[in-house]
Amino acid sequence: MSILEIKDLSVSYLGDDYKVRAVDHVSLNIEEGESLGIVGESGSGKSTLMLGILRLLNERTSKTEGEALFRGNDLISMNKKELAKVRWSEISVVFQKAMNVFSPVHTIETFLSDIYKVHRPNAKRQEIRKELTDLLAMVNLPKQVLRMYPHELSGGMLQRTSIAMSLMFRPKILVLDEATTALDVITQNQILSEILEIEEKLHLTRVLITHDMSVVANFCKKIAVFYAGRLMEVGYVEDVLVHPRHPYTRDLVKSYPTFSEDGTGTVISIPGTMIDLKKAYTGCPYANRCDRATEQCRTDRPMEDQMDEHWSYYCHNPLQGGETDESR
Amino acid sequence: MARYLSKRVLTGLLCVLVALCLNFALIHMAPGDPIRILVGNKEPNPELVQVLTEKYGLDQPALVQFEKYIGNLLHGDLGDSYYTGEPVLNIIKQKLPLTLLLAGSMVFIAVIIGGLLGVFCAKRAGGKLDTFLGSFTYLFDSVPGYWLGLMLILLFASRLKILPTTGLVSIRESYTGFAHILDMAKHLILPITTGVIGIVPYYFRITRASVIQQLGEDFIVTLRAAGMSEHKIFYKYVFRNAIIPTVTAVGIHLAYMIAGSTIIEIVFGLPGLGSYLMTSISRRDYPILMGFYLILSVSVAVMMIVVDFVYTLLDPRVRHVSD
Repeated sequence: MSILEIKDLSVSYLGDDYKVRAVDHVSLNIEEGESLGIVGESGSGKSTLMLGILRLLNERTSKTEGEALFRGNDLISMNKKELAKVRWSEISVVFQKAMNVFSPVHTIETFLSDIYKVHRPNAKRQEIRKELTDLLAMVNLPKQVLRMYPHELSGGMLQRTSIAMSLMFRPKILVLDEATTALDVITQNQILSEILEIEEKLHLTRVLITHDMSVVANFCKKIAVFYAGRLMEVGYVEDVLVHPRHPYTRDLVKSYPTFSEDGTGTVISIPGTMIDLKKAYTGCPYANRCDRATEQCRTDRPMEDQMDEHWSYYCHNPLQGGETDESR
Repeated sequence: MARYLSKRVLTGLLCVLVALCLNFALIHMAPGDPIRILVGNKEPNPELVQVLTEKYGLDQPALVQFEKYIGNLLHGDLGDSYYTGEPVLNIIKQKLPLTLLLAGSMVFIAVIIGGLLGVFCAKRAGGKLDTFLGSFTYLFDSVPGYWLGLMLILLFASRLKILPTTGLVSIRESYTGFAHILDMAKHLILPITTGVIGIVPYYFRITRASVIQQLGEDFIVTLRAAGMSEHKIFYKYVFRNAIIPTVTAVGIHLAYMIAGSTIIEIVFGLPGLGSYLMTSISRRDYPILMGFYLILSVSVAVMMIVVDFVYTLLDPRVRHVSD
């Protein structure tokens, strides 16, 4: 059953005399209890998609169109009061820069308590403290953290606190927006493993936004590949990463460095640059960099093609199974 | 914390000492002989000049004069005015309260107006009203204080006749009690307004910039994502973080305003420290100048220490470093 159904969603950033379409008519279903990794290079619109859905972008400088149905209720057209109830208690976010996620002049306890009181306004001080202590314990942090200021915590501790904060109301969906990117690999693995445990315990639906393919491969069931604000391919990790249909997915996988026992692992760099999203274009945004591009790719927008119920792609000239080692 | 503050006090004292040395050197290096100015005529009596030069110790080497000055200073003696013979400390005691009242009122009112306008515009950054008010403050910024003061006198005193032109009290009346205070307040409206208009843009820009910066911080997005109301986000988090640079600016500004209100005191004929300082400069009244400059450097040093202390209260990161 879908917990979040994104239908034809577009998000644009508005300048004085230009418009950047950061997310371009994206449709995506997120099933209850699944873990979805959203990947793509910088500027592909993966973070903007979630910020747009939660309406966290500046309304004066951005515009979100389309639908994002959370259990049938459209978050985009919902009034602010209703949206405030959904935020954090149903959908919560863990942001990338944990150092900046907390107010530098307030203690962790003040910050977390204030968030707690947003959804439990009548909660007593003792109840809040117990709840916060339990939350910290969930991410293996001592209660002393509550008395501390953000600058007194390490990057890993801050990210754990941030995760604890996001789990405060046992949300249905947890969005991790590059949440572990800034951490060293050991801490990253520890934290992600802890998240997996919590996820099982709380029956969370997890959306992991990252540019790290290995994290998605290890910690997600499904993957959605974004490029220039468009969804290129979505499906189970073992299908999409092993037998990609979209040439961009293939190139993205191949441009990720891996270790091989004989040292022969090759890394490719995708030639060219991403198209300028300020300029209007027709066709596929990857056409100017794709080795399989045809005239049709430059003129017609590719529509969704499905391999099966869970696996779909947007390409006029898709790879056939097993073509991962083509010309590149 | 105590160690940090005592360190700051010591640094402050050192700064004042350096300022004293510089002031002494600059005053004595400036052209113009105080005795010649005091004696007044073009061909002064050489004997009189000799007597006065010896009386004030100006015949001695500069280093000896400075040593003597510091010695007296440590005993609380700032010397006597060459011109009036009055102790410098008495003159400062007489003149300083008005200057402090002027500077304090100007900064206080400017912080309120500039701060409110800054917050108002920051919330509407990029909008028409923000652009309009922003340009307007630049206009105020570019208007010289003496010109603005004269224009206000022309409008409110000469033409509309609703406020007095100059001075601190109405000489023809002899008000007492509350009527006296009211009369003084009436006389201070135009000078304070002139000063406030001059410094409002400063606080407007500081507040606007820091509020805009705070509104864009990640923790504000977190609070929004958590469903907190914009009202609470603003007053508990944006304002609390944005106030830090404004506090620093107020402290430093207040110290400099003691000297900065000179022009206003002159234009409005107010008997404050600034206007007396100008007169003393033209008279080369060394003890007065040294005394006034000492007050200025001490006030700057004290305000810096106060700002540092307040900063440690407002920002735990600074407290952390200072600990």
